[in-house]
Amino acid sequence: MNKTSIKLDDIALHFPKQRNIVSIILDFFRKRERNFTALEGIDLEIQQGEVVGIIGRNGSGKSTLLRVISGIYPPDVGKVHAAGDISLLAGLGTGFSAHQTGRENALLYGSILGHSEEEMRKKLDEIIDFSELGSFIDEPLRTYSAGMKARLGLAVASAIKPNILLIDEVLGVGDPSFKEKSKKKILNMVKGASTVVVVSHSFGLMTDICDRVILLHHGKVMCDGAPQDSIKKYYELAGEVNEEK
Amino acid sequence: MEEAEVDSPPLRQIGVKSPPLLAPFTTISELKSNRFLVRNLIRREVRGRYRNAALGYGWAVIEPALLALVYWFLFIMLSGNPDKMYAAWVLVGVIVWGCFAKSLNGATNSLTSNVRTMHLVYFPRSIFPIASVGANMIVTMMSCLVMLPIIFVYDLPITIHLFWVPVGVFLAGFMALGLGMMVAPINCIQRDMQHLIRFITRAGFFVSPVMWTAEMAMERGAWGESALWNPMVVPITMVRHGLEGKIVDLPFYIIASSIITAFVMYVIGTIIFSKYERRAVKYL
Repeated sequence: MNKTSIKLDDIALHFPKQRNIVSIILDFFRKRERNFTALEGIDLEIQQGEVVGIIGRNGSGKSTLLRVISGIYPPDVGKVHAAGDISLLAGLGTGFSAHQTGRENALLYGSILGHSEEEMRKKLDEIIDFSELGSFIDEPLRTYSAGMKARLGLAVASAIKPNILLIDEVLGVGDPSFKEKSKKKILNMVKGASTVVVVSHSFGLMTDICDRVILLHHGKVMCDGAPQDSIKKYYELAGEVNEEK
Repeated sequence: MEEAEVDSPPLRQIGVKSPPLLAPFTTISELKSNRFLVRNLIRREVRGRYRNAALGYGWAVIEPALLALVYWFLFIMLSGNPDKMYAAWVLVGVIVWGCFAKSLNGATNSLTSNVRTMHLVYFPRSIFPIASVGANMIVTMMSCLVMLPIIFVYDLPITIHLFWVPVGVFLAGFMALGLGMMVAPINCIQRDMQHLIRFITRAGFFVSPVMWTAEMAMERGAWGESALWNPMVVPITMVRHGLEGKIVDLPFYIIASSIITAFVMYVIGTIIFSKYERRAVKYL
């Protein structure tokens, strides 16, 4: 029962460059577009049930690729297809308001992530429980430590069970004991979702949980295969780059 | 944990957008389906504005009241003896104009100030300017509470026409929404827009009936009457006349043109917004 869950056809994405008045006029006369190519010629098919990792150096387009899949950036060329609801796990706690209580922030963050009101009311107790905030939940968020905020963020984000889960470097937040718990929770989510795409720099984890790892380099797919192969290729590339310097 | 694969959903294309020409309608349906989110975003903005202040929401009333006091003083210095209601009219002008100006500035910056949220999750981006304008409308309605003592002090009749007060506030905010949605995507590409809009909201203060009233303009003959074509004359006068307990006493064509302007700006604003919003986000 191999069914396609995510399908990218020849995706290309360019970012425009910020310009000032002089370069706008110059470019107009030279008929030139200043672009930065973030992704180019990405063809990808991910089956349901697969856990796919994406690796690559900083700026290779990993996060951008996840954003393209989740619809944040529309590609300039090509089409993206996906089956079911998608949820991107990144930057836990974005949109938190320092002046509202933990409880209000849970509702706010939940609604930003696209949960319905009913769903949030139903899960609120579970979220508060998981965040281990205790009586702090009714204190304003500005009194929280960074770890507490991260815990609340993860508690809300992990309350959803999407068909497709995209994870961007959020494994392991908080103090060591919560780190274990959060990692467990995310791994649980990985098991619960039918399709998972993970961006991470921790190769150990990638080899453990991924069926397949994709290596991105300058916005292109350099290697798409077993975790060990892609990681090996990554080091080869990194070596080359170092030698160049 | 349930198996998600039980009923596998069909493959659908991501990021298909509805035709921009339908945007005036899709914006409303987006607002409707995301009302929980909009409510939370509005609450965040309103709470954030009056944070850590001992007087808290009281500032929604104090700020326009103090501002009106200054203008009232200025006016007495410049032209001597004004009408006894003049101080109240300036206060109303300050409140309604403030609703427009803050909504417009808020909507213009709504995309650029929510970059982090936009990079995290996709939901219809028209939510951002709508939430910003909504928050300002709510704050303005709180400011309108200052009208209660005015009614008492000037012994104004409480009539059905008080209904024009929220209508005027809404019209001012609605106009700001349309205009703000026009410029918000442009502001992502070149921030010149927010400077221009800030200038417009400052200069517009003087050409709109904040320190003067529609009646004063009409006394000045043809030049004064031409000032009534400013679309902001209607919402401000609406609130003033509503407070005074009478029907909005302006020429019909002036009222109609203002309302039509607001709708046209909304239609153009939503169309421009939906057409350029995606391209604009890449500049952030």
